[in-house]
Amino acid sequence: MLRNVYLKTLRDSRKSVLFYSIGTVALGLYVTLFYPTIRDATGFTDFLEDLPEVFQALIGDAETYTTAEGFLNAEVFSFMGPLIVSVFAIVAGTAAIAGEEESHTLDQLLANPISRTSVLLQKAGALLTGLLVLSVALGIGLVAGSKFAGFDLSITGTAQAIVSLYVFGATMGLLALSIGAATGRKGLAGGVSAGVGIVGFLLDTFLSVVEALEPARFISVFYYFNSNDVILNGINAAHLLALIGITGVAVAAAVWQFGRRDVSV
Amino acid sequence: MTELIITTGLTKFYGEHRGVIDIDLGIGEGEVFGLLGPNGAGKTTCIRLFLDLIHPTSGSATLLGLDSRADSVRIRQAVGYLPGDFITYEKLTGRDLLEYFVNLRGHGMARAESLAERFDLDLTRKIGELSRGNRQKVGLVQAFMSDPRLLVLDEPTSALDPLLQQEFHRLVLEEAAAGKTLFISSHMLSEVEIICDRVGIIREGSLVAIEEIATLRERALTRVEIEFADSVSVDDFRGLDGVRDVFVSDRRLTCSVTGTVDSLIKAASRHTVVKIESAQPGLEEVFLAYYNDDSEKEDSGAA
Repeated sequence: MLRNVYLKTLRDSRKSVLFYSIGTVALGLYVTLFYPTIRDATGFTDFLEDLPEVFQALIGDAETYTTAEGFLNAEVFSFMGPLIVSVFAIVAGTAAIAGEEESHTLDQLLANPISRTSVLLQKAGALLTGLLVLSVALGIGLVAGSKFAGFDLSITGTAQAIVSLYVFGATMGLLALSIGAATGRKGLAGGVSAGVGIVGFLLDTFLSVVEALEPARFISVFYYFNSNDVILNGINAAHLLALIGITGVAVAAAVWQFGRRDVSV
Repeated sequence: MTELIITTGLTKFYGEHRGVIDIDLGIGEGEVFGLLGPNGAGKTTCIRLFLDLIHPTSGSATLLGLDSRADSVRIRQAVGYLPGDFITYEKLTGRDLLEYFVNLRGHGMARAESLAERFDLDLTRKIGELSRGNRQKVGLVQAFMSDPRLLVLDEPTSALDPLLQQEFHRLVLEEAAAGKTLFISSHMLSEVEIICDRVGIIREGSLVAIEEIATLRERALTRVEIEFADSVSVDDFRGLDGVRDVFVSDRRLTCSVTGTVDSLIKAASRHTVVKIESAQPGLEEVFLAYYNDDSEKEDSGAA
């Protein structure tokens, strides 16, 4: 595990990846095992339909909430899933370069015959790998839970929703990594990325119910992640490409700025 | 002689703050060069510019014939680097860290192991649990383990105890004998005296002089204090060769001497001498010698 920067970074994050994966498996199991209770509760749909639209936006769509995919969309892919994935990704992203710089280990690493671009890309690769592990773990939890609870779950829909969640997590993590690499400041990198996620969530939730502002939803990262309810309707390729594009630009800018700036001792 | 380090007008500003200004250096292959100066003079800045950890504001540095900016990866492949305070991954054991860096450099562990043994370093302990001196030893090992053609060492012995300093000096002399080039920064004249061929003196970011060690020692001011049996006159000691700042108070004389103390001793021998004390020239005295010279030049220029 000490062959290169990529493996060393994975090695450093092994415990974190393990614990987060236990968390996502648990989330998958918990939500799927709970679903039959909601499905069988009479009058629940009526109750939801009576709620004001803004609460439906928060809880989940009344029409689909009692279907398996609709329930998972509301309980996993609207809030808890992106929350867990973002926290993992942002923490890993800030630690990657800004974290090493603030703990004074970057200087010595870069004194080795390795380019800054390579360090940045290998660290990004390690982040993407760790994120993949916990995304797959979530999928395993969901599918296994649906089997235990004895209901049919769309595997393709779930897989697509997880891909979408993965891309969203990657966007948040690589944004944090990029800001950290460009500035060397861990707090700034974490703060801005978390802000982008939180504000994105709030904008997407509330702008969707304010008709006049609905067109403005496109400024939120959440809009590109799950505005079309991926588990129900499949991936919106344009939306995912938008996230990948934003991330690509951020990483490219970070490579450029990290390459030209001074590294602090 | 091939020059392994050449800097031309190398200048670094951190925003408004001075790093180094207009450094012109040429260091030949096989040379042991000392960069001598007080803390904050710009020694570390200079070394970090060599390794491309920071980038020059203007001017350039060429190491092993390669540009420090364009070819930094190839330069670092051939350079061993040790900072004054070696800080690295605390959770790794010494062996893990060396293995990691060996992998990044693409060579084997053999030399790292034998260096660790030589410096009596326990590689099984985590770096975070090591004392500062032992941590610095890990740094020493990683700097030398790739058998690099050029070694750049920033205050390498500041954290080592005297015994280890001696062992380190032996290692440096061995490397020099094997034809390696070493660039060593220090704030201790006594250290560069032992290991260096030539010394650059840096002050407030500027290189004020480059001298052979022998010349430096000659020009260094030695403080001498002589106590006589009877009171002496200051006139007996005026105008002596290499003697300056003569001050007499009754039976006690103090002065500064550059080069040999011969003329002073001969003048003193005309009286009964009770006690002579002379202080080894420290860094300050060396600087003083250079600054006094500068001001004298300025004076004569004005006249």
